[in-house]
Parts: sequence; C-alpha cells; structure tokens
Amino acid sequence: MSILVDENTRLIVQGITGREGKFHAEQMLEYGANVVAGVTPGKGGQEVLGVPVYDTVAEAVEKHDANATVLFVPPRFTKEGAFEAMDAGLKLVITIAEGVPVHDMLEVYHHSKKYGATVIGPNSFGVISPGKSKAGFMAHRIFSPGKVAVLSRSATNCYETVFMMSNRGIGQSTAIGIGGDMVPGSPFVEMLPLLEEDPETEAIVLIGEIGGSDEEIAAEYIKENVSKAVVALIAGKNAPKDTSMGHAGAIVAPDGTGSAENKEKVLKEAGAYIAESTEGIVDILEEIL
Amino acid sequence: MKLLEYKSQELFYDYNIPSNKGLVIDSLEDLEDTLQDDEPVRGNDITAKIENYPVVVKAQVQTGGRGKAGGIQFAENAEEVKEISRNLLGSEIKGLEIKKLLVVDMIDVKKEWYLSVTLDRKSKTPLLIFSTEGGVDIEETAHQTPEKIAKIPINPMMGIKDYMIRYLVNYFNIDPKYLKPLYEIVKNLYTLFKEYDCLLTEINPLVIDGEGNLLAVDGKIDIDDNSLFRHDDILKFRDELTEDAKVIEAREYDFLYIPIRDEGNIGVISNGSGMIMSSIDLITKKGMEVSCALDLGGGATAERVKEAIKIVLENEDVELLLINIFGGITRCDEIARGLEMAADAVGDKKVIIRVEGTNKEAGLEIIHNMKDTVISVDSILEGVDALYEHFSG
Repeated sequence: MSILVDENTRLIVQGITGREGKFHAEQMLEYGANVVAGVTPGKGGQEVLGVPVYDTVAEAVEKHDANATVLFVPPRFTKEGAFEAMDAGLKLVITIAEGVPVHDMLEVYHHSKKYGATVIGPNSFGVISPGKSKAGFMAHRIFSPGKVAVLSRSATNCYETVFMMSNRGIGQSTAIGIGGDMVPGSPFVEMLPLLEEDPETEAIVLIGEIGGSDEEIAAEYIKENVSKAVVALIAGKNAPKDTSMGHAGAIVAPDGTGSAENKEKVLKEAGAYIAESTEGIVDILEEIL
Repeated sequence: MKLLEYKSQELFYDYNIPSNKGLVIDSLEDLEDTLQDDEPVRGNDITAKIENYPVVVKAQVQTGGRGKAGGIQFAENAEEVKEISRNLLGSEIKGLEIKKLLVVDMIDVKKEWYLSVTLDRKSKTPLLIFSTEGGVDIEETAHQTPEKIAKIPINPMMGIKDYMIRYLVNYFNIDPKYLKPLYEIVKNLYTLFKEYDCLLTEINPLVIDGEGNLLAVDGKIDIDDNSLFRHDDILKFRDELTEDAKVIEAREYDFLYIPIRDEGNIGVISNGSGMIMSSIDLITKKGMEVSCALDLGGGATAERVKEAIKIVLENEDVELLLINIFGGITRCDEIARGLEMAADAVGDKKVIIRVEGTNKEAGLEIIHNMKDTVISVDSILEGVDALYEHFSG
C-alpha cells in the first residue's frame, strides 16, 4: 500500500523541459517512477529523456491515462499550473516551488476542495513511497522501504530523520513534504486519515515547526481518530518572535499564536510522543516499534 | 514586508479609504518648500500641504512604542513643526534611524473603532475583524472582552457582501447611517488586501470625527514577501527602509540572514530553514546563545559559501561558527572548499563543521587538512557538544 504515490502512479512532470524539471525527471525515472508524459507550453511534440512532451495537461492526461502530476515550474506560475492540472481531472497535484504567493495558494486550496483534488506543497520536496515511486526532488538514496510514514514541513529535518532511520534499520512507507509555506495544499490533518487506514503504515512521524495552527488541528484529530503511534518534533522553539525563519510559514505571531510550546503541549495531550531532536525521533521509534 | 504608516496611508488613499490629511517629509528643505507652497490641498492625499494647526508629527520607524520614545509630537504652528522635524529627522528610535516624518491633522475624535482583514492560517481564509472598541491593542480586547470583537471568515471565492456589514451594524447596535460608509471602507480594504497580496490590512483606530465622518487614522499593512515580484512599488519602498546591513548584504547573494539574539555569540550556517531552527533549538537547550543564522539555500558553490562565512563572521558578536550541512543538491566538497577560501575571514576563530550527504568523503578530506581550530563532527548533537566544551573550558 503506502499512500498517494506508488507503482500504479502514472506521473506527469509539468515543466519537464526546464533545467530543474529535466534533472529531477531523470532522477525520478532512475528511481523507477512511471513518468508517462511531460508538459511545457510551446514545447509539445518534443521528447525529453524518452518522455513525450505536450502543450497542455489535458492532452497528456488523455493520451497516457495519467493520474498525478508534479510541478517543476517557477513560483509565479504554480497557481496556473495547478489549476490546469485540476481542470484536466487530475486528483493528485504535487507542487514544489518555494516562493509561491500565499494568495495564490488560498485560491488553489479552495479550488482543490471543489475539484476533490489533493494538492501537496508548495515549498515541498514532494512525495516518496520508498522502493515504489517518487514525485519530487528528495534525495531518494537515503530512503528505505518500511512501515513508518513521515510528514514534514521541512525538507532538511525530514532528510536528517530519514537518514538516521534508514541507517538504524527503520524504513518508511511514504514520506510527504507538507511544505514550509503559510497555506499548504494539504495540512497534516488531511494526510492522517489516509495513514491511519494504510495497512503498511505502523507509525507516523510528524515534523512540524513554529507558525500557524496546523499542528494543533492535527492534534485534535489524532486524539479522536488515530490509533497508530505518532512521534512529533516541533522545530523553532528558540526562534525570535515575529521573525520569519526562512520558511514563509515559520513565524510566531506577535500574540504568540504558532508557538512551539503550544504545539508540543496539545500533541502530547493527544497522545503523541514528543522528540527533542531529529535523533530523538529515531530513538523513540526504536523503542516503540 | 511590513509597511510604514505613511506607505499604508498612501495605499488607503489609492483605494478610496478616507484618512486624515497629511504630508510626508524626508528633509528639512522639503519641509520649507511644503510650508511655502500655495498649491491647493488634494483631498486626503498625504502629499498635501499643512492647512490647519495643530498638527501631529509622527516618526516613521518600524517599531512599536514610538509614542513613548518621543516619536509622536504635537505642533501648534509652522515654527514648531520645523523645530520638531529638526530634532527627529536623522535621530534614532530603538536603534532605527528616522528617515521620514508624517505630519497629519489633529482629528476631533468622537469614537474609535477597529477594522482589519487578516489572512487566517487556521481557517485558510481572509478574516474580517471588527470592534467598536478601537484605538487600543486588539489582542488585549480579545483577551479581556472577546464579545466586543466580531470575526467574519471571508470565502475568497465570494469576497465581501453587504450582509456582513449589516450583521456588524446589528451586532454592535451601530447607527444605521454608518452602514453605507462602513461597507465602502470594508469593501475597499478587502480589495486592497487582495490586490496587494496582504497578510494584514489594519485600521486602528477607525475614527468617527466631529462631523460624523469615518477616517482611517492609523494603519498597518503587511505584504507577503513572496508576492513582491508583482509589486514594484513595494520593492522600491523596501529599498528605502532602514534594515540590518547584513540582511541586505546576504540578500544580494540570495542568502537569508536572520539576527537571533543580541546577547548571542554563536553564528550558525546551514542549508535549509528546518535545519537552522533545529540547530538553534539544540544550542539554546544547552544554555548557549545564537547571535545570527544564515540559510545558504540549496546548491551553494564554494565561492558563495565563502561569502556566506564572511557575512556571518563580520558580525563582531560571533565568536564561534557552527556549519551544519545535509547535502542533497548542496555538495559537501563545495562547502569545505568555501571554508578553505574564507581562511582570512575565519582567522583564529573556532569553526565546528558537520557535513553529511552528497560528496561527504571529498569534503571531509579537505576539512581534515585544515588547521586544528576547524573541528569536524559527525552529527548536529556532536556539534552542539563541541560548542558546549568550548564554552565550559
């Protein structure tokens, strides 16, 4: 099983003719992902890495029965790209770019609910189900197949954790880059039901950080609906207030909303294990699995 | 990107939100010209001239509590405006240089309301917030008397509708004659919020003056940094701000430099926001303090790594540097070479470096040949232990 992305994923790469798009399409192919088509407006008819390129997502979907897309397009075009994909009927849209205006994401978020589509990211490394497929730019060599799902707002904290997990023999079912922006296409809480139902996932690692209330909302859900073990880390405990820590979303409001203390408190009350460091996550996993 | 008051007022003017008359001064010569100018006053254009005294002279700095710090003063005549301006322009409030003053009419305040549109991350919608208790800290009101605040989530597909204002007027028992002007202001404020990619547009206070007009007397606007590519005027405004010179220097190289604690003495360089936060958390947990952090982003070359190290070490508070790298697209050998190239800037300062990931072995080979003030560690926890050892003797 695993969730979102697996051997049945028929993936489109939007922006496949760009430098980043091409490089990571190659990485995805090398990993065994089924990249069926690429889309770049004006470049239809070409081939990149043996993958046919189309002008529109609709054409690519129709010709190749694609069921997911990953967007390697600049931040200012992410909204258009996501709309085009959803309008072409795709139900899984993975956005990567850092720097997407939050008002664009508000529109994408609300439209995705109307279309019944799942949008991942932006400011995300994408999604990987180790040993099966990947859609994104994550350094896949550090991942290994297994039974722990990882959800993370930060790419680097996820890599750190996964690297140590793999070294200590704890594999991953699926790792999802929730993304570091203010409004993610899919906050933690929307991924939890899928993981709770996934028979291959035994435990869930939740790597959050300061800013917003998505960890608090996840905690409420975990309390009532998640039977699997949840191990959480909240980064940014010692970040100065009202200062963005790089991720657009990692900012504690002047009134204290979004603080690490509150997130840890409610997650703990919801029954999650709280780790103090990425290494601490792996220690806890070793103990409970 | 938080705008200064005068810039917020300019945008209010552009969006037909009535505010008090005023003008912006950035030099004494400018002030002389303005005082002698016979041009007619243009509505609430804040480039207008002073017409009636007394006026309020407000220092334009990006910090709270400027009133207490002497940044807001009253003038009875042109001489007093000059006197106050001479004292304020070029002086500092909380370390920030005053480059501009906003001179506004005194308003005959009958009532003060609060109005804002903010991006609510919890509901993932714009949120309209209104209170008839304005002019004070809204957080305080929210805490003490939450029933005096109304919050209305706005469906971004739908925008502001007039029934929302009718709801406010009913709930707060407001004289119905304000229904229309309030609706206009809310509608215009929301349009501004959307068109300028705002995270917050706030009018506090929204004043009812002696003639029964609604006026935006003080405003705060916060604009999404990620949207600045489509707002040239705001980019231009940013260049005029008093900002930390290091932040600007780092930005030129596409790095993010974040001042952390004034009393800190450790500099942190890493390649990702998450790792920066984790490093700071672990260092602080051990009772040590970080002075500043720099995020390299992905794929930094040796040349850029050198510049990053220089920027951090030019900060005189930094006694010790921690470099924490998990390389995906960032290559460990580039990091190591960058450190080598920055040898002059590093001098005898201790550097603790951890590299993991792409080209780790090549990176370590370079690092192991450096002098013994460069300490190589194998994990962030080891790195924090090495810092601790340094400070505890």
